[in-house]
Amino acid sequence: MKRISLFTICFVIFIACWVFLRFVVGGVISVPIPGSVISMYMGLVLIAILVHVSVEDSRFKEFIRPIHETLVDENRRVRRIILAVLIPLLLLGYTYTNIAQKANPPGDPRDAHPSPPLELTYKDEVIGSMQDVENPHRHYEKDDPEKFKSHVENGRRVYYQNCFYCHGDHLDGKGHFADALNPLPANFQDPGIIPNFQESFFFWRISKGGPGLPASGTPWNSAMPIWEDHLTKEEIWDVILFLSDYTGYPYRTFGEGH
Amino acid sequence: MRSRNIVLAALILGLLSVFNLTFAQDAPEVSEKGKEVYEESCAHCHGIEGRGDGSAAENLLPQPRDFTRGLYKIRSTESGQLPTDQDLFDIITEGMPGSSMPGWETSLGTNDRWEVVAYIKTFYEGFKEQETPPRQISLEGKIPYSEESVEIGKILYTQFACFECHGNLGRGDGTSAPTLEDEWGFKSWPANLTQSWNYRGGNDIDDIYKRFIGGIAGSAMPMFEDPAFGLTIEESKRYNELDSKAEMTETEEEEYNQLDEKMGNAYEILDLMADGDATEEQKQIYDTAMKEFNVKSWHLANYVKSLSPEKRPEAAIGKNVLRSQYTINELPEMADAAWETLESSYFPLVGQIIVEPRQFNPTIDSVNVKSFYNDTEVAFLFTWDDRTHNTEVEEDEDTGTTFEDAIAIQFPVKVPKGPTAPKPYFLWGGKLPVYLWQWKASAADKITELTAKGINNAEVQEVQGNIEAKGEYTDGQYRLWVKRALKTDDKKDLQLEPAVFVPIAFSAWDGANGDVGTKRVISSWYSFVLEPVPSSRRFIYPPLVALLSFGLLVGLREFVRQRNT
Amino acid sequence: MKTKMLACLALLIACGFGLFVFADSHEEEEMDKLVFSEAYKTVAVKDGGKISGVVKFEGEVPEKKKLEITKDQAVCGVTDKFDESLVVGEGNVLKNTIVYLMDISQGKDFDKEAKLEIDQKECRFDPRVQIVPVGKVLTMLNSDKATHNVHIFGTKKNNTSVNKQQTKNRKKMRLSREGVAKNAEGPVEVKCDIHGWMRAWIAYVPHPYFAVTNEKGEFTLEDVPPGDYKLGYWHEACGTNNKEPVKVTVAAGGEVKQDFMLKLKEAK
Repeated sequence: MKRISLFTICFVIFIACWVFLRFVVGGVISVPIPGSVISMYMGLVLIAILVHVSVEDSRFKEFIRPIHETLVDENRRVRRIILAVLIPLLLLGYTYTNIAQKANPPGDPRDAHPSPPLELTYKDEVIGSMQDVENPHRHYEKDDPEKFKSHVENGRRVYYQNCFYCHGDHLDGKGHFADALNPLPANFQDPGIIPNFQESFFFWRISKGGPGLPASGTPWNSAMPIWEDHLTKEEIWDVILFLSDYTGYPYRTFGEGH
Repeated sequence: MRSRNIVLAALILGLLSVFNLTFAQDAPEVSEKGKEVYEESCAHCHGIEGRGDGSAAENLLPQPRDFTRGLYKIRSTESGQLPTDQDLFDIITEGMPGSSMPGWETSLGTNDRWEVVAYIKTFYEGFKEQETPPRQISLEGKIPYSEESVEIGKILYTQFACFECHGNLGRGDGTSAPTLEDEWGFKSWPANLTQSWNYRGGNDIDDIYKRFIGGIAGSAMPMFEDPAFGLTIEESKRYNELDSKAEMTETEEEEYNQLDEKMGNAYEILDLMADGDATEEQKQIYDTAMKEFNVKSWHLANYVKSLSPEKRPEAAIGKNVLRSQYTINELPEMADAAWETLESSYFPLVGQIIVEPRQFNPTIDSVNVKSFYNDTEVAFLFTWDDRTHNTEVEEDEDTGTTFEDAIAIQFPVKVPKGPTAPKPYFLWGGKLPVYLWQWKASAADKITELTAKGINNAEVQEVQGNIEAKGEYTDGQYRLWVKRALKTDDKKDLQLEPAVFVPIAFSAWDGANGDVGTKRVISSWYSFVLEPVPSSRRFIYPPLVALLSFGLLVGLREFVRQRNT
Repeated sequence: MKTKMLACLALLIACGFGLFVFADSHEEEEMDKLVFSEAYKTVAVKDGGKISGVVKFEGEVPEKKKLEITKDQAVCGVTDKFDESLVVGEGNVLKNTIVYLMDISQGKDFDKEAKLEIDQKECRFDPRVQIVPVGKVLTMLNSDKATHNVHIFGTKKNNTSVNKQQTKNRKKMRLSREGVAKNAEGPVEVKCDIHGWMRAWIAYVPHPYFAVTNEKGEFTLEDVPPGDYKLGYWHEACGTNNKEPVKVTVAAGGEVKQDFMLKLKEAK
């Protein structure tokens, strides 16, 4: 049995690494990895292979032997001709598709967590500083659970009369209007949403809507209405209670230790 | 030994799951859990007492189902029958596309969904009084989908009178469409059969077939009836041919009378069968006629299937770009076949619910756009489906006030430079203005140029540029052709140049759905580009690279050979 | 202890009040329906009496509303169609009123000869009000060269909705399989969705003492066993007298005259 040459082994390893990145990691395991990232990894793999084959003189010789043979050996004539045709053809195809490719529109880079203003307002009325304002109905949770429940129920009503078209029956951002919107409606079931923000932040986002975003949040794209035009202050605080009650995620708070 | 056991267990499990799929299940006993899940997840639309009057119901159309009447639209059972438990479970699981009923597959566990099925059945006494299981629609004799079947189905579509509501081409624009209501008195529009992604009960051929045979309870969609019962497809075709003749010859008349008698006879037997009074001979006639009816229905189902793409077209923002194609020639007129060579870009539209008055129940699904440009001009072809042609404000006691149909195409006045540059607010601009083309059904050949700085802040431009337009309405669809110069002298207009991505957005109004002013359907910002003429470089560089690489290979060989010697 | 009892009492009253409110919301719907006694027994009637009379309309007769015929002009538009929810004849007599005995528990059998048919002719239902005994089969006729769909509304009392197409080729369609009412109630609405203006009413009834007034506003109930009865009426536009039925006494072989004056229902 003929021994498999070092070159073939290296070649196979190289291809296997690519297949692994492109189809296993970037397909079976997660979403596709961008081409540029794959190229970077493949560059590393190439360097590793070159380092490996060049540490010993004999190994390097063994490595380039097949290349050498292919280039000059009389017995390798067929292979030589095939490669001499194939390589230029592949490069030709590659450059052609690259040049002929259609340009894509510029992306919409957007700050998903825009910074809020210092003061929280409802219409023109100043409620307090963004850091300190608490949900005025939150304390009922401990003080008067019945009353708390009625506020949550009111929040539920507000939600299903106004919000569920986009944010969904299940608060997962998959409402029946969601498909056509960019950016997509917030998904409150995402553990990275509610626990990362204070209730005052939510009040700000709800009351001022898309147009109230800073420029980095692409205010011109968001379809979030300015809810202070439609809802009372109490209704906004109640719907904030409902969001956390339904999903089970608590809002971020700054306790005494902070 | 052990591995064999594992294989066996896996087999049994696999079999069980298959059974689970193929055999209809029954709901469990009513439990507290079902009530709890119902009140947490369903009551906000369907109401605590199941009357379809939850707090969200007011703004929804179709209205959430009232469970107290036992009328369920989507069933696998015959007309007048209650649904099976499996039917209810399936609807909860999959939702009703095109309505506000979502699928609950990912948000409620299987057991929870079954508990809810048991619970909603308590709202209607009929479920308890049911003595025998509901009669299910047999799917026997299914005819596979084929072009021939679709052709036959197309003829039957007319004979079965589907067009009365669904329109000649299935766009839901039949002459009866504007007056349809459900049994609760709410407006109900016939399905646009060319948009199968909005079929409430799914778009499989089996689903479509079940809707014919079982009807859609509570709505205007009846249980189907063979318009030529007892006649074969060929015979019924002939019958209709003769029927529509102004004058018949004597032989024709005889033929007609024979067919008429055969049909009348079959209908009589149909009634006798229902009463259980038919003789053996009559039963045979009935069976043959019934078989023929089923065959007809399957052809019809195949035809309806053929009317729509399988899936909603790709709608992802960033992916569906409107690319205007370059042509060296004159731009094509509206009726030009050249338009057929382009693929259209699909832009979904949703109700405007940001500014009062709002549209919670849109009827226009989307707008499709194609575009060509040459060195001086650009032409567009916009198409969108609308079930009714409204050219003026009309007041009607029964159906309410209807308004004029319209569309507006929106661009920024100045194209933002670079991805981070601000765009105008997507809803008719704000601080940054937008440039609009507004078209109204009453003036089909006119585009009005507007500049807007907000949805309620639009102005007709003083200088109206030279924009050619032509609009028409046929069979439930508007087609609008627009042509303009790439560059204009008006500073308030958008100036176009190749290879520059321009934001584009749409607003549309269906007057019959009460759309007027801010009440309308809208889209987000999408992208439009005059696709640059493919560069001639593509014929120069690639061969150059190929030659170079070949040269390098040859050089390398020479180099190695020289070193060897 | 006392406070607890008081609280209980308060709770009970509250519950009662809640029930009352709840019941009230349903009552409104029921006010427009016919009222029957629980059970009915068929017996031979000897020396039955007769109740007859004329129903008249009181108040200013609204102008007849012409219906807009939006399709199938060749069939439906041959003659002008008018809204028939209120048909007032000369002398203010009112057609299509159901007059019936509310509380009769035994009496004659149904007339087996009576035709249970509604015709669809020139895109209107004829008659507009049809009485159908529970369990009996209604037959729909189609005299038009047009396709109709017979849509009988479903109810909460397990009389499921019927919606069957009747194409122009089918002259006669018995609603045996789907359309047989299981429970007495009514009237329920009938419409043709294809021709949205077409309307009719069907009353599923438990006993034969029902009459519909004719063009002259007349009604007759015959072979009524002697006794005291409550006489009710129903009219599409004028409502019912469920709250204050008329009391009549029928003597053996006697005849009772009872006229009615109906006003338009107050708009909700």
